[in-house]
Amino acid sequence: MSADVRDILDMERANTPEVTKDSFLATKKRNFERTKHASRRPEGMHREVFALLYTDKKDAPPLLPTDTALGIGGGYKQTKARLGMKKVRKWEWAPFANPARTDAAAFHHWKRVSDDSGEYPFAMFNVQLEIPSYTMTEYNAHLRNNITNWSKVQTDHLFDLARRFDLRFIVMADRWNRQQHGDKTVEDLKERYYEVVALLAKAKNQTIEKRVYSYDPEHERRRKEQLEKLFKRTTLQVEEEQILINEMKKIEARKKERERKTQDLQKLISQADQQNEHASSTPSTRKYEKKLHKKKVHHQPRPSKVDSVVNAIEIGSSGIKFADLRGSGVSLRSQKMKLPANIGQRKVKALEQAIQEFKVDPAPPPTEDICTSFNELRSDMVLLCELRTALSTCIYEMESLKHQYEAACPGKTLNIPPSMAPLKTETLDNTTN
Amino acid sequence: MADFGGDSGGRLKGVTIVKPIVYGNIARSFGKKREEDGHTHQWKVYLKPYFNEDMSIYVKKVHFKLHESYANPNRIVVKPPYEVTETGWGEFEVVIKIYFNDQSERPVTCYHILKLFQSPVVDGELTSTTTMDTKKGLVSESYEEIVFQEPTQVMQHYLMLSEQSSNGLLSHDTDFEEKKTKTLDNIVNVKKKVKGEILTLKDKLKLARETISKFKAELAKVQKAPT
Repeated sequence: MSADVRDILDMERANTPEVTKDSFLATKKRNFERTKHASRRPEGMHREVFALLYTDKKDAPPLLPTDTALGIGGGYKQTKARLGMKKVRKWEWAPFANPARTDAAAFHHWKRVSDDSGEYPFAMFNVQLEIPSYTMTEYNAHLRNNITNWSKVQTDHLFDLARRFDLRFIVMADRWNRQQHGDKTVEDLKERYYEVVALLAKAKNQTIEKRVYSYDPEHERRRKEQLEKLFKRTTLQVEEEQILINEMKKIEARKKERERKTQDLQKLISQADQQNEHASSTPSTRKYEKKLHKKKVHHQPRPSKVDSVVNAIEIGSSGIKFADLRGSGVSLRSQKMKLPANIGQRKVKALEQAIQEFKVDPAPPPTEDICTSFNELRSDMVLLCELRTALSTCIYEMESLKHQYEAACPGKTLNIPPSMAPLKTETLDNTTN
Repeated sequence: MADFGGDSGGRLKGVTIVKPIVYGNIARSFGKKREEDGHTHQWKVYLKPYFNEDMSIYVKKVHFKLHESYANPNRIVVKPPYEVTETGWGEFEVVIKIYFNDQSERPVTCYHILKLFQSPVVDGELTSTTTMDTKKGLVSESYEEIVFQEPTQVMQHYLMLSEQSSNGLLSHDTDFEEKKTKTLDNIVNVKKKVKGEILTLKDKLKLARETISKFKAELAKVQKAPT
């Protein structure tokens, strides 16, 4: 190995003795001796490193320092190729018979003396096809079906070609006698050939044991036509197609984007709908209003959260709408208590807290009465939570207004009604009054 | 068994039949960790009717799905008692799927958290009732009702037969009747409380909004007037 490396790097090679016949024959023995030595740990090498090197087959690692005290002359340098030392097997010039030939011509080839196969090995490639034949009567009885295109002479010619060229239709079409029989394409030949084969098989009642290949000439013609067209495209056309494909991809991407946006909008609208439901009586006017509303949105300040909550409370759309498990079939009663999926995560959280606050069993035994009242209770609880947040928003707003007022005209103040936020008002009143 | 002829698949309009059931598990500790597999408890997960009746008349089979670490975790029980006894060291969710004798009724699924250890009592942490019985061990069971809405004729027939086999109340480790009344009372009470609070909050909110508009008006006056 290291000799190879030195060779590649064009470095000076250690004094490898010239390869002579004797030294070559001696390599085997030398090798054996060396491996014995190599499996010993070279001096100065740590045991752990050595263990890493010699884990598998105990053969020499690719790189191993050879300048040890044990270093033996050539180290790991190998003499070059080691050819097999067996005796050469004999070849002889022998005659052979090719079964494909009928003239019994004698040929010779080289073969090993030890190979004593009687059969010519390439005979297996001489496959004989079974091409049906027909008599005059058979032709008259069954095959006169397509006289305008195929006469008896033409059919005979076709089958002759088929036999001569082993059904290689491309060759057959090439050798087709155009002067006598007119132009025929490969498809025409195939079509007629398989038609005749099928008809003969049917006439001789062989359809069961022999599967007849059904050939679809129309399909083949179209296929070739398409390939032809594809092949004959000009570079310009290819480029145009590529451009069109890219355009289509862009259009599709835009379409998806648009659909996504419409969906988002739809969601927003349905949310707004729930809040505005009370405002309009008929769906058509509501739609109209919604449109107006959408247009106005830019000019109008967004209604504060308090307003929307208050609206929702007034129309009673707040709370939870539980799924109505009507319809037939078996169900578990506890399914009635499942929260609908459209409830937001925040609502669910608030509800959980309320249930804990009021010390209610979150999964009560599901009788009909309990289910109904439990659902009503939770709907109320959601409303309660919303009211609480709305109120705290109001109080916050009041206080900020109050501070604004105090800043605008010092010395005067506004009085928040004492029933509001009873904990806070006391301290605030003390400081302000 | 009666013959229902061709229209046995037809559903009975407006009929609803309810079958209360109880499912859960009991568990008993070995008192030590078993040497060979580290198991600490023997447990039994079960499904039984609330009233003493023969469920097999309308139930085809019950499928208990245990944790995947058990050898063949899918245990199918075709006749009462619907239960699986095993040993183990951990709690997991047992899926109990009930198949009915009429194939056209879809199976229903209950989920039970297998309880081996008495959990510390936390408010609102009462998913199923756990009781400690010195003789039986830890019991954790839930009440449930199977609702057959507009059952098929065959199913109704089975359900009625089962009803007739009924033989009074089955004693349960948990007093569900008491629990039901208590829970309902509690819910009704809390509902009253919540309703009351909603009313006061509504009033407050109204007042707050009035105050806000009043404040706004005042502020506008002050800001306009030269000071």
